[in-house]
Amino acid sequence: MIPAEHYVILSALLFVVGGVGFLVRRNVLITLMSIEVMLNASNLALVAFNRSRLAHVATSSYVVQSHTGQVFAFFIIAAEAAEVAVGLAIVLAFYRLRRTVRSDEADLLKN
Amino acid sequence: MLSFLPPPNDYVLIAVILGMPLLGAFVNGIWGNRLGKRAVRLMALSAVGASFVASLIAFMSLAQLSEQDKGAHVKLVWNAWEWMHTTGGQGATVPIEVKFSIDQLSGVMMLIVTGVGFLIHLYATSYMEKDKSYARFFAYLNLFIFAMLVLILGDNLPLLFVGWEGVGLCSYLLIGFWYENPANAAAGKKAFIANRIGDFGLLCAMFLLVQYTGALDWNGIANGASSLVHPGEVYRVHVWPLGGGHYEGFLHFLQPDKPYTISAATAVGLMLLLGCSGKSAQIPLYVWLPDAMAGPTPVSALIHAATMVTAGIYLICRLSFVFVLSPFTMMMIAIAGALTALFAATIAVVQNDIKKVLAYSTISQLGFMFLGVGVGAFTAGFFHVFTHAFFKACLFLCAGSVIHAMHARIHDDDKAQDVRNMGGLRKWLPLTHWTFAAATAAIIGLPFTSGFFSKDEILYRAFVDRTVNPENGVGLLKKLGTFAPPVWIGPVLYAMAVAAATLTAFYMCRLYFLTFWGDFKGWTVGRPSLLARHEIAAPHAEPDHVDDDNDDHDAGHVHHEDPATPGYAPHESPWQMTIPLIILAAFSLFAGVLNPGFGILKERPMDHWLEPVFKAASEKAVIFAHNNDASWAEHMEWPLALGGIGAFAIGTTLAWWVYISQRGAPAQRLAQSLPGLYRLVLDKWRIDELYEATVIAAVDSLAETAAAVDKSVIDGILARFTSLVVAASGTILRAFQNGVVHVYAAMMVVGLAVMGWFFAVPHPNATVVDAGHDDYVVTAAPGVGYAYRWDADGDGKPDKKDFGVDTTLKVHVEPGKSQTVNLEVRNSFGLVRTKTIHVARPEEPTSSL
Repeated sequence: MIPAEHYVILSALLFVVGGVGFLVRRNVLITLMSIEVMLNASNLALVAFNRSRLAHVATSSYVVQSHTGQVFAFFIIAAEAAEVAVGLAIVLAFYRLRRTVRSDEADLLKN
Repeated sequence: MLSFLPPPNDYVLIAVILGMPLLGAFVNGIWGNRLGKRAVRLMALSAVGASFVASLIAFMSLAQLSEQDKGAHVKLVWNAWEWMHTTGGQGATVPIEVKFSIDQLSGVMMLIVTGVGFLIHLYATSYMEKDKSYARFFAYLNLFIFAMLVLILGDNLPLLFVGWEGVGLCSYLLIGFWYENPANAAAGKKAFIANRIGDFGLLCAMFLLVQYTGALDWNGIANGASSLVHPGEVYRVHVWPLGGGHYEGFLHFLQPDKPYTISAATAVGLMLLLGCSGKSAQIPLYVWLPDAMAGPTPVSALIHAATMVTAGIYLICRLSFVFVLSPFTMMMIAIAGALTALFAATIAVVQNDIKKVLAYSTISQLGFMFLGVGVGAFTAGFFHVFTHAFFKACLFLCAGSVIHAMHARIHDDDKAQDVRNMGGLRKWLPLTHWTFAAATAAIIGLPFTSGFFSKDEILYRAFVDRTVNPENGVGLLKKLGTFAPPVWIGPVLYAMAVAAATLTAFYMCRLYFLTFWGDFKGWTVGRPSLLARHEIAAPHAEPDHVDDDNDDHDAGHVHHEDPATPGYAPHESPWQMTIPLIILAAFSLFAGVLNPGFGILKERPMDHWLEPVFKAASEKAVIFAHNNDASWAEHMEWPLALGGIGAFAIGTTLAWWVYISQRGAPAQRLAQSLPGLYRLVLDKWRIDELYEATVIAAVDSLAETAAAVDKSVIDGILARFTSLVVAASGTILRAFQNGVVHVYAAMMVVGLAVMGWFFAVPHPNATVVDAGHDDYVVTAAPGVGYAYRWDADGDGKPDKKDFGVDTTLKVHVEPGKSQTVNLEVRNSFGLVRTKTIHVARPEEPTSSL
């Protein structure tokens, strides 16, 4: 079995990639995708920890088996879907308004 | 008789007496302009008329009740609802009810108000005919009658105060009735503010009464009145006139080293006196009444002569049992009255405005009333209220009739009221002339007129009466010593009153002669050349052409103001104006039969009627001078009457000689030989200017200081500085909101990192508590996943090798010593932080032995 550390390292890498993408890219679509990447990184960490804990529980005499991590991941996927729906609608509306999808053009509320 | 009427303890007819004028005010006030003049007139007259009829019925049932109870103090009571309640000085509940009552005193007053009020309403329907605010005038006038009735019939002080303020409001509204002229509006304000000063006294008196007697209704105050002179410490009032602090100087009496100790009765009495002198225009608050003549003449007659201004005397009569407990207050009332009577009379002598003369005459007569009640002759004082209501209302209405006639050609108010433009009017205004003569005869004290009897009684009683404290020698007074008026006060008051009466006779006759005798000086009477032939043929003075809306003056309005141009002769007023004059003149002449002196009647009706009201107050408190020698007092009646009759004779003869025989020449010579004095008196002794320079200037400078503080401190520092801080921080913070989403996200990341670092690192904190017995307990602050390791002796080596869960450590410290403790905290990430704590103990306090 692949140890949890590998998953956690991969998850951290994905999160950093998503975070950096979110911070440096100006295309709103890319920004949204970066958010997806960060969320999925956290999903990966959740399932990995849950799995490693289950493996630990199986070897001991402990009887209570918890799947909180997996369930949490599903909830996040659902929230992600909703977020993307709203986010894309905003992007669409913004595009119609300004004919662009660059986020630094959306500064009407500054100052 | 009268068996259909409600029982005396639930006399709901009072609701009709009060309700009708209120209804009239409501209807005329809301719909008056749409109803038209005829309907307004009908509403106003029927409201006051119905109130008068109901008052008559109530008075008759009161008389019947009084007869049944053999002249006891009887009351018709109507308790509408409980208004509120408060807690008195002794912790008792003081209910304040909307409760009205008619007793012998308020019954008479009620008849005066509704009766004279009705006549003046009738007069005003014609006098105000041309005014565009006809409905507004009658709404105010009806509202005044309502408020005055509340004042009179209210069974407790707060309810009286409602009426008191109500009449003040109506007075203000009616003085400023022609508010387009700023002078009139200013006069209204002056009256209102002068009255507020008095109301302050009345309010203070109410607070003191709640505190010391635990009651505010008449019966309750009467029952608790004895505690106003109670010997207990809590019943004394300590007064520093200007506050504490040591001061040596000639004004030392204003700032003594120890406060003046007075009885609660004196405190209440002086406060009430302040209230009464505001409403009744006495020194020092009289200044508003002359200016109040800016209102329409019927208002001057009703409010500022017959009814409202007598409210102060009514209140003194009503609370006579409180006033007599303080002979000092009684003396102050008498002195204020005598001074006012004399002072106002001197001003009246030189005034040229017919209404101003009558206004100062009113102040002077109110002074006589104060003098009467101040010497303990409550019936005499109140009888003067009664007679004065008739003759002064009659005089004012006559003045209105004269002004009405003068207005035909002279449209300037001041000129139309100036007696120098009148003269010889008896030829053209016969009714006005004769009624004015009758009322003048009453006010100057022509023997056997009403004014003669009422004024003479006051003069007589001022000389022979002495007020003493009824609780003399007991209680507080034994301890503090009691005040007794000096023996010379009676003759001095008498002399001042005789002097005032002489001046009264002089200035009233002067006014009468200048107005009605001699030659007419207003304009040349003759055939107006500009009029059409048939108008010249018609008789010029038509007394009763009234009901149509444009009667008398309109012919006159067309032509020029030049008095040299011939014009119609002045004309008599219509019947609505002359009927009230005739009735009031008849009462002025003959109302004296209700209380004649000199043993003319075996039993004096007014004395007998009012005796139950004043008996409790006057029987112990008012004695005769000369060791209470009743036969001496009786013998003095005729000699003392000579003063009053002499005043009448001298004043009248002098006026006749000056203004009829010599045609005013001596007066002019006197004025020319003493120009300074003449100017001073003509300017009313410049009291208004004195007030302007002192009191008003002080208030103004206080207001200016407050305004300066408001502008600099409040506006400048508080408001501007606050807004500056907010604006500056806004300017700085605005730079961060640049609208770029990525910058916001980066800030979020930085913030998250800071928060993460804070939570990732352990924070050792501890509190030290003195546990007694030289022990101190050190408690470490809790945190998620924290483990603790202690080093109790501070040598850098932990007590235990492993981290544990002990959050407390007890250390023992000797006095004056200190101890160092190290605390290590480890969190779930394995990070460790250390804190060094010093536990210090102070030295024991050592004994000086």
